[in-house]
Amino acid sequence: MMTISSLKKETKNQEIEGLPDPPYVMMSLLGYQSQLKPLVEPGIHVLQYQLIAQSENNWSIKLHAPISGIVDVVEYNGQNYIKITNDFKNERMVCVPPKLAALNNQDILRVIRDAGIVGSGGAGFPTHIKYDVADRPITHFIINGAECEPYLSADYSLMNQEENHLWKTVQVIQKLIKAKYVILAIEKQNRELKKKIEHQISQLNINIKVQLLGNDYPQGSELQLIKTVTGKIIPKGSIPAHHGVIVSNIGTIKAIANALYQGIPYTERIVTVSGEKAKTRGNFLLKIGTPIHHILEQIGQDWQPDDQQIILGGPMMGKAVTHSEESISKGTGGLLLLRHLKTEVFNCIQCGYCADVCPQKLMPMEFARHAVRGNSDGLNQFDLKSCIECGACAYVCPSDVPLMSSIITGKQLIKTKL
Amino acid sequence: MNLHPFIKAPRNTTQAIMLDVIVALIPITIASYLAYGTLALTLLGTAITAAVVTDLVFSGILFGNWKTSLDGSSVITAMLLTFTISPLTPWFVVAFGAATAIIFGKILWGGLGKNLFNPALVGREFMSCIFSSILGASSIWVTSNFIHIPAQDFFLVQDDEPVKTYLSTLLYNPSGALGEYSPFLIMLGGFYLILRKRISWHIPTMLLGVFAMSSIVVGDRVNLDYSFAGLLFGTIFMATDMPSSPNNASGKIYYGAMIGLVTFILVWSGVKFSYLSYSILILNGFSSIISQVFKPNPWGKKTNRLQKSEEIALLTTAILGVTIAVIYLHENHALIYLLVVYVFYVVLKYAFDFRHKLKYPI
Repeated sequence: MMTISSLKKETKNQEIEGLPDPPYVMMSLLGYQSQLKPLVEPGIHVLQYQLIAQSENNWSIKLHAPISGIVDVVEYNGQNYIKITNDFKNERMVCVPPKLAALNNQDILRVIRDAGIVGSGGAGFPTHIKYDVADRPITHFIINGAECEPYLSADYSLMNQEENHLWKTVQVIQKLIKAKYVILAIEKQNRELKKKIEHQISQLNINIKVQLLGNDYPQGSELQLIKTVTGKIIPKGSIPAHHGVIVSNIGTIKAIANALYQGIPYTERIVTVSGEKAKTRGNFLLKIGTPIHHILEQIGQDWQPDDQQIILGGPMMGKAVTHSEESISKGTGGLLLLRHLKTEVFNCIQCGYCADVCPQKLMPMEFARHAVRGNSDGLNQFDLKSCIECGACAYVCPSDVPLMSSIITGKQLIKTKL
Repeated sequence: MNLHPFIKAPRNTTQAIMLDVIVALIPITIASYLAYGTLALTLLGTAITAAVVTDLVFSGILFGNWKTSLDGSSVITAMLLTFTISPLTPWFVVAFGAATAIIFGKILWGGLGKNLFNPALVGREFMSCIFSSILGASSIWVTSNFIHIPAQDFFLVQDDEPVKTYLSTLLYNPSGALGEYSPFLIMLGGFYLILRKRISWHIPTMLLGVFAMSSIVVGDRVNLDYSFAGLLFGTIFMATDMPSSPNNASGKIYYGAMIGLVTFILVWSGVKFSYLSYSILILNGFSSIISQVFKPNPWGKKTNRLQKSEEIALLTTAILGVTIAVIYLHENHALIYLLVVYVFYVVLKYAFDFRHKLKYPI
């Protein structure tokens, strides 16, 4: 593992700001391992917070309108979206917060499900499925406040500025999953938060342990976080709840808090806008579905893909944006404007840096060797399937060996050979 | 395909690594200049010129791309090679060594990083085998007439203060090969490389540790003839060479320990001057196997301890077997045949195998 320096310090203490609502939103219909089905016909008018799409499988992942306006279903780059053209009337559904005291466990899971809550860390696993532990014993409930992606400070600004609902929500979830210990995990570089939060929770009489972690990347990755907090080494692909551990991102807790205490579904989130090429940097509360070009316009910048690399998410695991209509999703913690990387491939010099930084203890240089030669046995021998694609190896490689593309083509190769 | 990650570690290119090694060699270069003046610099210059020109020409002809020869690695090869020889070595011998180091140590393997052996040591063996009468003559080590600045008395030594005399020689002592004049400056370069993460502590610590332990175990029963400064130089700059050493931590620990052990066996058997280059070259040959055997245990997976122990035992036996064979060849002045076999091997391997894999970075 390693530390990565970035512009995080520049944005982390900035207050969360709003932006004017976009003229339209683009709601992606891609859910966790599923496609969502629109529940509204093109041309009709929807209210803010109205349910507009739902997955067809029994996970029932839901999508709600973040603004009021006219619905359309459109396709961009082979991806389906619901487009809502803003009428700027802010007509909303009547939101009544549930009466918490009267809710049983099933009711709480239903509230979480109906608010369309999925993990805000990126993978987008439906939260009500994760919390439905039935009688399985849960020892540790870990709240992931380790925002190990460079540049991003959305989670930090949330914890720094949030009021009490966040911690009350943690308590509700603890009772729901009957967790023995509750740990809020944050990085050492944010240690100033520890006192502040400890004060807040002692006032509320809630028992949360605030644990400081190293500043390494990828400390916030689920498996590494579980190991640091509990000492348990869970193999990739195994479900943490089966080992008595449940991890939730702090952003997810915020979305649940909004559902429990205000009755509003997951329709907004905090996004860090940063990067060397960004003229305005900060943490913004944005509607889910806000198109990138709207954010760029608001911060006074142009869509210039030749000049800058535009990223949704963090610089290590995020996704390069190829189209300005792409938008903020429930798992997007950042919009970064970075310099284009200059890469020049040299031979691997066996420096071993990639193996040193691999959090999964793999030998990434071997993936580059075997993937180009189509040798799936070699890839399996070096356990490619345990790779979490954190990008640490490619970050540190001095020879720009195409490690990440080898990992991705290698995984496809293994799949086709099965 | 525009894939994550979208940032890279700053100042961490292959050229930056090579530059760091060159920086670490500067203090030793200064010591060699203090000791033998322009004689030292002429040899270094000859070697560097020969290496870089050979690299340019051969990578231009064979790879169709001469740009890779400007990564700085051939400068390092030439410097390392020069630091292992006497200041009285004729210039054409050094040029020959540098050129063969590049051709047979690096280019024919497919270029930087793909070589199994440390190129500088390969060049050194070519020189000592081909010019054995020049380099084997004892007169080549009679250098006192050429000394620029003699050994200094840094601590104002009185008659019976061997400790202070010894400390003075650790700082500066112009005897032996060109890179061996200041253990202090060698260590300085080593610390710089560790600080810059270009080498790790594993190989040097294990190598010197095992060698020292073995010497203590044997005690006074045998007279061990070796140069401490030479051992230190090889440990820090040769044994840690990235392409020819294992690429993971536990592999490096084993590798360092085995070089220490093999070096000790060679010194004990009476091999002179070349004990460290033989031991490093022997372990170079096993380094990629060591990397595989000692590969870290993937997250959440169990190791087969029995299988791993068997592999390590087999590996150790093979290394010791090769060591004995090398001692036998050395005593019978037959290493030249090994060199001939090596030349045939790399030439054929290049022609039929490596040539077709140039496009792969690993």
